[in-house]
Amino acid sequence: MHSETSQNLIAPGIHYLQGAEACAEGAMLAGCRVYAGYPITPATEIMEHFARRLPSMGGRTIQMEDEIASAGVLLGASWAGAKAMTATSSPGFSLMQEVISFGIMTETPMVVVDVQRPGPGQGYISTSQEDVMQARWGHHGEGAIIALSPASVQDMFAMTIRAFNLSERWRTPVLVMAEETVAHMRERLVIPDLDSIEIIDRKTPQDEGIAPQDYLPYGHGPVPPMAIWGQGYDVNHVSLVHHRDGRITGYNAETHFDNIDRIRRKIEDNVADISEVEARFMEDSRHFVICYGAVSRTAVEAVLEARQVHGIPVGYIRLKTLWPFPEARLRELVRDAEKIFVPEMNLGMMKHPITEALRDRCRMVAAVPSLGCLHTPEQILARIQEEAA
Amino acid sequence: MNEIGHPMLKYLKTEGPSGPRLPLILCPGCGAGQVLNYTLHAVDRLLAEDNLNKEDVVFISGVGCSSRLTSHYLQFDSGWTIHGRSLAIATGALLANPKLRIIVFTGDGDAAIGGNHFIHACRRNIDVTIICVNNGLYGMTGGQVAPTTDTGEKTATTPFGNVEDPFDLCKLAETAGAAYVARWSTAHPRQTVKTIIKGIRKKGTAFIEILSQCPVHKKTAPVEMFKALRRLTARVKEGAAVPDGRIAVGEFCNRDKPDWISRYQDIIDQENRHKDTECTGSI
Repeated sequence: MHSETSQNLIAPGIHYLQGAEACAEGAMLAGCRVYAGYPITPATEIMEHFARRLPSMGGRTIQMEDEIASAGVLLGASWAGAKAMTATSSPGFSLMQEVISFGIMTETPMVVVDVQRPGPGQGYISTSQEDVMQARWGHHGEGAIIALSPASVQDMFAMTIRAFNLSERWRTPVLVMAEETVAHMRERLVIPDLDSIEIIDRKTPQDEGIAPQDYLPYGHGPVPPMAIWGQGYDVNHVSLVHHRDGRITGYNAETHFDNIDRIRRKIEDNVADISEVEARFMEDSRHFVICYGAVSRTAVEAVLEARQVHGIPVGYIRLKTLWPFPEARLRELVRDAEKIFVPEMNLGMMKHPITEALRDRCRMVAAVPSLGCLHTPEQILARIQEEAA
Repeated sequence: MNEIGHPMLKYLKTEGPSGPRLPLILCPGCGAGQVLNYTLHAVDRLLAEDNLNKEDVVFISGVGCSSRLTSHYLQFDSGWTIHGRSLAIATGALLANPKLRIIVFTGDGDAAIGGNHFIHACRRNIDVTIICVNNGLYGMTGGQVAPTTDTGEKTATTPFGNVEDPFDLCKLAETAGAAYVARWSTAHPRQTVKTIIKGIRKKGTAFIEILSQCPVHKKTAPVEMFKALRRLTARVKEGAAVPDGRIAVGEFCNRDKPDWISRYQDIIDQENRHKDTECTGSI
């Protein structure tokens, strides 16, 4: 599978790496051969790692003039057949929204890593989860997005690979919503046998046996096979509302609905395949902590202490995928609860879809906010004790 | 229709499964259609005379009247992309596949919203041919002021006259580092076709500005505007300035310099030579 360049990929075994480096290594293993970026703290280490490593795999790293251009590079690179990625931090993520919106509409596989820092404005350069709503709603217009939430160096590696796989499988931009915490931490990273790692490549019309004259750029099913530039399919990538054959004239409301509804539903109808949830200590639990990202590391400590030391029946649920929001899965897990605690490094953002999903399954959903720094287990435990003891 | 139609119709999709792709949305008398015609003539020559593969030719544009030249009717790979950002997207395509021969249609409006991308594309000398249709205003949105609008000119958003000086896009491209820079007008068809051929053949950034007419927003008959483009322009000759009040047309710059991909290829080659001899795999 990786025969051409496997000699230069990260070696199987145990490594001690930074999250940013693990992210870049995962991307390269997934097949990323174009990286474009613009320096910004705390995301820069990802680009620096790509700049050192990508040439040895025949890939190219470019530092663009801004974040808009960096994200723009991904569109062209993807249409020309490459897997491509950028990484930025929150202010840069704001700038990229135009391109992300365009990527959703043109159904372009591309990966954007947001190493979140606090805002608004320049905010600060520490850690944050303040972009989780921007990830879903920051781009203009309808559509859907896939956003993953890594909590460790191992996750930065594995979830970046998964981000590429999902973007290729569903032909859509995928976001890795990292935090400064996970990008800068160094810890153990276990690389399995490379052939055991699943790598998904986009379907092309050639794969599906579709000849150029029969090819519909936005047809042939919910996820259209993607023609690559330079292969004789004369494909026009367009973000204006279009017919399935790519025609942009003859606008009507039915075509518009068909176009956007398919783009949304190819993601939203497949939440069960796309969105991962980790659940622990579910048996007999009356209360739940629902968390994601780096916060889940301290949240699990708080849950363990609440259960073992204080005898409070608290369950632990971690959203490994933020969007599409795994509402059905949460409702399976939480059937009847007293109180739900949502620790986040913001003032309560994912608390909203959690409340929407579980408002009839519990008595209260409580935000446990922190700005600019990771919660301590004690902070989360104190809130649990206050409400549930 | 093809038998009696335009010779360049062979490069256009007139029909698709959901309906007709033509006519172009451009207004009667607009110069952008002429620019497409000149460009397709140039590509036609290169397909016949050079070893250019049609599959490798990619058209990319942003948003605006000129950008509508890249659309669902082109019988080529193409991308109708984001306002001002077409050069970023072209850069990405080349990074993925340097074999592609990219032609970017852009307008003078892209020089405002995409000014930064424009100067950096020229500075990097990325191997694309930029064809800029300059009509001196924003046509698609209804005739507003552009960075190329003359000082004092009244437009929809400068009802009392433009207080700003216009850009000279060719000087900007040359200063920023483009390998090839030229300007013609829609009223110079033969010169424009020859220049586009040179531009596509040129390794590195070729910037070709084509002065064009917008009869609708200038409220002037197309033929009058066309004549004015001949009358108001003068060809640059080495060592001589064009007469006062005339716009210089012709070739401003044609220099050989390595493009981004060639320089980066040296790094790729060097890194892979190292890998042959050193212990590899771990980091």
